[in-house]
Amino acid sequence: MRDVPEHPDWLWSSPEPKRSYDVVIVGGGGHGLATAYYLAKNHGITDVAVLERGWLAGGNMARNTTIIRSNYLWDESAGIYEHALKLWEGLEDDLGYPILFSQRGVLNLAHSLQDVRDSVRRVHANRLNGVDAEWLGPDEVKEICPIVNVSPDVRYPVLGATYQPRAGIAKHDYVAWGFARAAAAMGVHLIENCEVTGVEVAGGRVQAVQTTKGRIAAGTVALSAAGHSSVVAATAGVELPVQTHPLQALVSELLEPVHPTVVMSNAVHVYVSQAHKGELVMGAGIDPYNSYRQRGAFHIIEQQMSAALELFPIFARAHVLRTWAGIVDVTPDASPVVGKTPVDGLLVNCGWGTGGFKATPGVGWCYAHTIAHGEPHPLNAPFSLERFTTGALVDEHGAAAVAH
Amino acid sequence: MPYTHDVAVVGAGPAGLAAAVESAEAGLAVVLVDAAGQPGGQYWRHYDESHARPGDHRGHHGWSAFTRLRDRLDVLTADGRIHYLPGHQVWLITRDDPGVFTLRVTRSFGGSAGRVGAGVSGGTETGPSRAVAARALILCPGGYDRQLPVPGWDLPGVMAAGGAQALLKGHRTLAGRRAVVAGTGPFLLPVATGLARAGASLAAVVEANGTLGWLRDPVGAMSVPGKGVEALQYAVLMARHRIPYRRRTVIREILGEDRVEAVRMARVDREGRLTGPDREVAADLVALGWGFTPSLELPLMLGVDTRKDVDGSLVVVVDDLQRSSVDGVYVAGEATGVGGAALAVAEGRLSALALSASLRRPATAAVVRRLQRAIRRGRKFAAAMHRAYPVPGAWTEWLAEPTLVCRCEEVSYGDLLRACHDLGAEDARTLKMLARPGMGWCQGRMCGFATAEIASCLSGRETTAEDLRSLSTRSLAFPVTLGELAALTDDTASDGTASEATTERG
Repeated sequence: MRDVPEHPDWLWSSPEPKRSYDVVIVGGGGHGLATAYYLAKNHGITDVAVLERGWLAGGNMARNTTIIRSNYLWDESAGIYEHALKLWEGLEDDLGYPILFSQRGVLNLAHSLQDVRDSVRRVHANRLNGVDAEWLGPDEVKEICPIVNVSPDVRYPVLGATYQPRAGIAKHDYVAWGFARAAAAMGVHLIENCEVTGVEVAGGRVQAVQTTKGRIAAGTVALSAAGHSSVVAATAGVELPVQTHPLQALVSELLEPVHPTVVMSNAVHVYVSQAHKGELVMGAGIDPYNSYRQRGAFHIIEQQMSAALELFPIFARAHVLRTWAGIVDVTPDASPVVGKTPVDGLLVNCGWGTGGFKATPGVGWCYAHTIAHGEPHPLNAPFSLERFTTGALVDEHGAAAVAH
Repeated sequence: MPYTHDVAVVGAGPAGLAAAVESAEAGLAVVLVDAAGQPGGQYWRHYDESHARPGDHRGHHGWSAFTRLRDRLDVLTADGRIHYLPGHQVWLITRDDPGVFTLRVTRSFGGSAGRVGAGVSGGTETGPSRAVAARALILCPGGYDRQLPVPGWDLPGVMAAGGAQALLKGHRTLAGRRAVVAGTGPFLLPVATGLARAGASLAAVVEANGTLGWLRDPVGAMSVPGKGVEALQYAVLMARHRIPYRRRTVIREILGEDRVEAVRMARVDREGRLTGPDREVAADLVALGWGFTPSLELPLMLGVDTRKDVDGSLVVVVDDLQRSSVDGVYVAGEATGVGGAALAVAEGRLSALALSASLRRPATAAVVRRLQRAIRRGRKFAAAMHRAYPVPGAWTEWLAEPTLVCRCEEVSYGDLLRACHDLGAEDARTLKMLARPGMGWCQGRMCGFATAEIASCLSGRETTAEDLRSLSTRSLAFPVTLGELAALTDDTASDGTASEATTERG
């Protein structure tokens, strides 16, 4: 009865690695796959291998809460995130693959007068940058998301919210598979179960990577391994200003549609959406200690749920099915590092904190440009590694929406 | 912080009951947490004691062993030497301070019957969470029926063999009038005879293996002579109720529109390949059991070592004193390997004696040695039974593409095939991440074993302990409400480390 195809019809091929490539991308998550896709599509560079130590998109790509928005404070951030959002809006057609991008809007709640001032300022900044943004009072918040408790008699009363209507959520694994399929179709090699154990440097220039499948020579090595980028970069003698923390999330059982949008709250470190099948997806703030474990401390979730339930009393009887953690890599200014390193031919893309998923197509686009031209794209130029010595920081602690 | 007991025993089935009374009688301060409203576990499940009738124990084995343990429990509870929490379930165990385990417990779903009622406030579902602390743990979580998907197994009227039996033993409720009991193993017999005695007509007992399977390991099968008598009793009962017993036969499809109407059976060979023509039998109850799956949520949460047992289930590795690989964590009963109630009682007693000896309380060396011998014999017998009644190797050949494997997330066998062939999944964990089996309400308790087997079968290899482990590890032992999570108020849960201070708002 079982119908097993004779010749598996894979979404992407799974070749053995060649001995050398023009470009080796380290990390087969969303960013690595998007970078490979735009390298091939925008720049015609297809002698590319994406090396993944596990399976494609099994790291943070499988562990995030899939929120997409671009309402960051500074021009630099708004630039790259808004570029990403525009790409998201056409991505399904571009990839020829369904990604279930649902532009249901995002509310960022303000709970104190300082929150209100910061939020209003951010709305103005967003508008100047062409990002759709509105300031809403409590009643308007209630209109958009009726299940939010806007009563003033709570510990964290809702004094208002910023609202980005074009923001939303997408289906994370479909996004990864869409990029993987399209990249593989243009000749990119996607190599799973291949861990990079070292970067070979000679005369200040990158030569190759050492992997669990042997040495692979490369003209350019582009790191895209999130929290593990600093570990890989260290083997080339490059120190990255990145700290790694667990960031936890949980899902409930399936519920009827009750939550029409995405609600985030910086003050209580919580963000909630209802996924396509009906489960509530709730994210917490980062665990305050450094760790590479994909598991967080339980009391963090307990604290955040008590605050979350004050906002959403209706969820008190929803059951938690699973909790998990991703590891977020955080820089001192809560903005990413995308660009060159002191080693010639070694590029780095990391430090995205909680912003990685929403940036996927945008950073893929810019990182591919950086690889192809040896110089950053104007949108990622501000996110250089040198900014930590020059002092030209892009402080996004506020708009990152979760403390880190 | 709550009062710190010497030991927390989780589960009041054969193993847990024995462990709790033995520990308390050795002088330890014991807390006993059990999901059910009255003691006995699944094996000695019985009707609400406050409405007991003579004959409720009929069909129970070792009932006097149970009543003796229960009487000791009652005395020790009354004396305050056992803090007994019936109707409570442990959903999280952490080790917040070195040497102290914190157990988060909440009212269990089914815990309203029996002894719980009085004195415990709250609604029918769940009450407020509470914390229980102990310096050592004896985990006796037991197990539940192992299931294999088969076309139609999601129809109303299909249930686990243990479920049909639990309704009978715990609620005097017959789940159907015309029953088919199917799967493999000696457990099918008490279920079938129990249903027959309660008045159901048994259309068939369908056993996938041959009955002479124990000849594969005759020495092991003879190691517990009492079991032979038990088997004989069932044979007599089967004959008395004229129950047709079909060997080397499986249910290949369950038929019905809105509920079960019939089953389609077929003969199989030793590996489970279909050999004979189909044969249809009418039924309104189908009870399925393919051995048991130990409940490993709590042991795995604590990080104990596990292995794949003879029957293919994941079990906890313990030494000859029931110690797991984690300091202070003892495990007894089905969680260390499915082997029945007598073995579980011996393991429970031994773990209690070993723990009290480690606290420098006297334990009779002779008793310990006797228990160890009994456990070795019991293990040998269990292994022989597992070899006699294996899950047939070719069972996945009975599946059709539309057959649901994961019922919570509605993942079909076809979805799993596509995840393997289109997306390249080669192991259970990848399969889970790509196709979502085991990600729903039951978190893989029902479909975990089957998913692991399908993953390994599709990539042409044996199921490994790692496959099983990845589908058994759960961050919470069972789903709790967000309200309960939020309501936790003990000191360890509110040390205020949320990074308010590091938050800068731009």
